Amino acid sequence: MKIRKELIRREIAGDVILVPVGGTVLENNGLFALNELGAFLWDRLESVEDEETLVQAVLAEYEVDEATARTDTAQFLQKLREMEIL
Amino acid sequence: MQKSNIEPQIATYLHAKGRRLGLPIAGNFELTARCNFNCPMCYVHLSDEQVRQQGGELTAQQWLQIAKDARDRGMIFALLTGGEPLVRRDFFEIYDGMKKLGILLSINSNGSLLRGEILERFLADPPSRFNISLYGGSNATYEKMCGRPVYAQVKENIRALRKAGVDVSLNLSITPYNLQDIEQIYRDAVELDVNVKASSYMYPSIRVNGEQYGSGNRLSAEEAAAAGVAWDAIRFSDEEFRQRAENMKNLVMNNPDGCPMEEGEGVRCRAGTTSFWMTWDGRMLPCGMMTEPVVRPLEVGFDAAWQQLREATAAIRTPKECTGCAYKEVCGACAAVCYTETGRFDGQPTYICRKTKETVRCTAQTLAEREKR
Repeated sequence: MKIRKELIRREIAGDVILVPVGGTVLENNGLFALNELGAFLWDRLESVEDEETLVQAVLAEYEVDEATARTDTAQFLQKLREMEIL
Repeated sequence: MQKSNIEPQIATYLHAKGRRLGLPIAGNFELTARCNFNCPMCYVHLSDEQVRQQGGELTAQQWLQIAKDARDRGMIFALLTGGEPLVRRDFFEIYDGMKKLGILLSINSNGSLLRGEILERFLADPPSRFNISLYGGSNATYEKMCGRPVYAQVKENIRALRKAGVDVSLNLSITPYNLQDIEQIYRDAVELDVNVKASSYMYPSIRVNGEQYGSGNRLSAEEAAAAGVAWDAIRFSDEEFRQRAENMKNLVMNNPDGCPMEEGEGVRCRAGTTSFWMTWDGRMLPCGMMTEPVVRPLEVGFDAAWQQLREATAAIRTPKECTGCAYKEVCGACAAVCYTETGRFDGQPTYICRKTKETVRCTAQTLAEREKR
């Protein structure tokens, strides 16, 4: 999966924050905060080909049922697409 | 014109977390004391010669080392300021370097150099915000106040930034030199669709004028109050002004004069708690208006300097007289105001006391006049 925006990942006292740089500042002028699952997915986005691989990674990492893993992953990716990050 | 300038929720959250954990969330980097303007009320400006005589500015590498150390401790917001930061030939070495560290940058500038190649570089990789000081509403006022008739140029530069979608906010310092221009400045802000942060209070410039506490090239307390109310009258609708006047009146009436506490309050803002100020020559202060407490990160290391700054800031107490004052909720006094007005953090800043009382009186009078119309 390809991240289309220029964003620098920061960790501040346990919070994962994405800082926009370059032309991204004009489109998304502000910080993005990721929750734990968001950070987990973000760190794997560019190394996977599809959503299914992410869902399997979530199932391997968290004690969660498959339906929840699918819904949470889909919602996160949908949010990124809406913001044209993905 | 944008009327509010509300901080994003995430910034408030990060500062709250930083306060609890003792982290430097924001840094102010005063890259130079030099400036291509020469404003009489400036608290920083020195000539090239004066800067050289005082040991020179930090190098770009030194700024980047401090930024990296601060970033490693949690800093995510930084303000690049001066003087005029864009007079540094190596400005973009610092700017680009700090961006690569993942720091969200804003810039204080007089706006006069934001054209040509400099403008192009900013349009390709903008800061999160430019805070541009607008000093007047005509070339003549600019010449009188800053020594350069560049009003039209500055306005053109702001227009170019706005056209590209760059976030711009205006800072307005109301002084004896530009008091007559505030309506024009308001019209400019509306035309440019930018927020204006105005102040008719000028801190005494103790950093450049030695220990001349309580004095400066500024309006009298009563004139400053009238100017502040005049600005409110320009920018607020009748209803907004009425609400402001009502709030002000209630804040005074609901807090009648009482017995002062035995000790004054501590520092209420973020200075020295989750933010720091680095001067052009490498001193770390809680706030750029102060001259103490001072620590030197290049000598003792960033972590030790930040720790020392926090401890020294926590020990600051403002005047105990203020704790029992009916006007405390409408008064803008802070530790830096007390210090620059009196030379002591616990010294009562009588200029501000007069200005606050006159602001309340003048606001009520202006409301009565508006309601009569």
